[in-house]
Amino acid sequence: MLTRRLFLVCAALLAVSSWAVRPAAAQSADPGATAFIQKLGNETVSTFANKGLPREQAVQRFRTLLYQGFDVPYIGRWVLGRYWNSASPQQQNEYQKLFEQLIVKTYADRFVDYSGESFKITGSRPEGESDTMVTTQVLRPSGPPVNVDWRVRHRDGTYKIIDVVVEGVSMGVTQRQEFASVISQNGGQVQGLIQALRQKVGQTG
Amino acid sequence: MKLVTITRSLLRSAAAAALALSVAGCATTPATSEGETTVNDPLEGPNRVVFAVNEAADKVVIRPVTEVYVAVVPDPLRQAVHTFIQNLMSPLYIANHLLQGNFEGAQLATGRFMTNTILGLGGIADVASEAGLPEKPADFGQTLGVWGLGSGPYLVLPLLGPSNVRDAVGYGVDTLGDPFRIWTNGVGQDGLQWGRTGASGVDRRSQVLREIDDLRRNSIDFYATVRSLYAQQRDAAIRGSSAPANPEFPEFPEYNTPAKK
Repeated sequence: MLTRRLFLVCAALLAVSSWAVRPAAAQSADPGATAFIQKLGNETVSTFANKGLPREQAVQRFRTLLYQGFDVPYIGRWVLGRYWNSASPQQQNEYQKLFEQLIVKTYADRFVDYSGESFKITGSRPEGESDTMVTTQVLRPSGPPVNVDWRVRHRDGTYKIIDVVVEGVSMGVTQRQEFASVISQNGGQVQGLIQALRQKVGQTG
Repeated sequence: MKLVTITRSLLRSAAAAALALSVAGCATTPATSEGETTVNDPLEGPNRVVFAVNEAADKVVIRPVTEVYVAVVPDPLRQAVHTFIQNLMSPLYIANHLLQGNFEGAQLATGRFMTNTILGLGGIADVASEAGLPEKPADFGQTLGVWGLGSGPYLVLPLLGPSNVRDAVGYGVDTLGDPFRIWTNGVGQDGLQWGRTGASGVDRRSQVLREIDDLRRNSIDFYATVRSLYAQQRDAAIRGSSAPANPEFPEFPEYNTPAKK
């Protein structure tokens, strides 16, 4: 008897909650975000398909596109997570500089060594309170296509990417967990991460 | 008399509230808010030791062997090896899709198995992919996850690499239930089983040669990177296409007034 009543209450609750959630899900995605990804993607492909570009210049172009497309300071701040508050203003400042250098060092080569990849937008959906997730497929000359989702935030009239999700794996989460591990290996000191970052980006002192 | 009724109704509402809470707890994916995004890894010490041994084994033996394999064996032949191994795994994929209640996945895996076995010369040619039936692996660790089992502590297994308690159990069950293993065991040809395991390892390693080199070069803590990638990948495989559990990306109050330049 009791279990039956419990079951009924449970079913009713589920029905009500799915009902309540639906209007939020039905909210349409921002078409501006899709247009932004399309434009940024086209520009990136056309920049790096041009193989005549000297390396120095190509890396510089990458940096420009990175800032045009990504909210790098926001991502850096997000990746550091709760440790941001335990860092001094000087540390925050140096960390943000090193984070940007790490991103350029990590990703510039992949784009500069561009080898015929293309992409197509497969859809978009609202994400979180104010973001749009634009879903794309990156088509490679060999191997199966890769699903890449771009989390886009609309702020003060401009669109910026704040996270990239490759086959269900968030780059932001991966980096945050890695940094958290480095910090905890150094007794919870942000300075430990800063030193490791300095070493990684090949900067002394 | 009246008191009893009131107490009873109070108890009833309390039970309903408790139930509502537990339902809400089940229905919502655990919010990965700030500071909470960590992988459950109580055995980090021993895991790091095994990880280091695996890394050494990879650098000294597995990666060099894979490099030779990629350099010597032409692309179409490597593709055939991959397709053949995947085809041998197909019965396991089908069974796991069925156990997960994923009939679409089971249909796809069955379609691939039939197509490649019959039209693909016993599983050597990947006719199925050409016909628009992409690879759709499934394993028992994933099945347990779909059934609602948590991952348990993160584990690094010797040679097999990143795993967790749930997936390690799943791997054991898959190995025991594998028709190919049962068959080789039955006809007394255990060598075939080892051969496939070795070939499968080299095949899988060859698919990610560049990616792993990149990750190793760019990571500050490669162990933590692999741990994070593994946990997220498994979550994604278990969730399938439904309800991705994305973390929160709040606006930061200090964001608009950054620390002095």
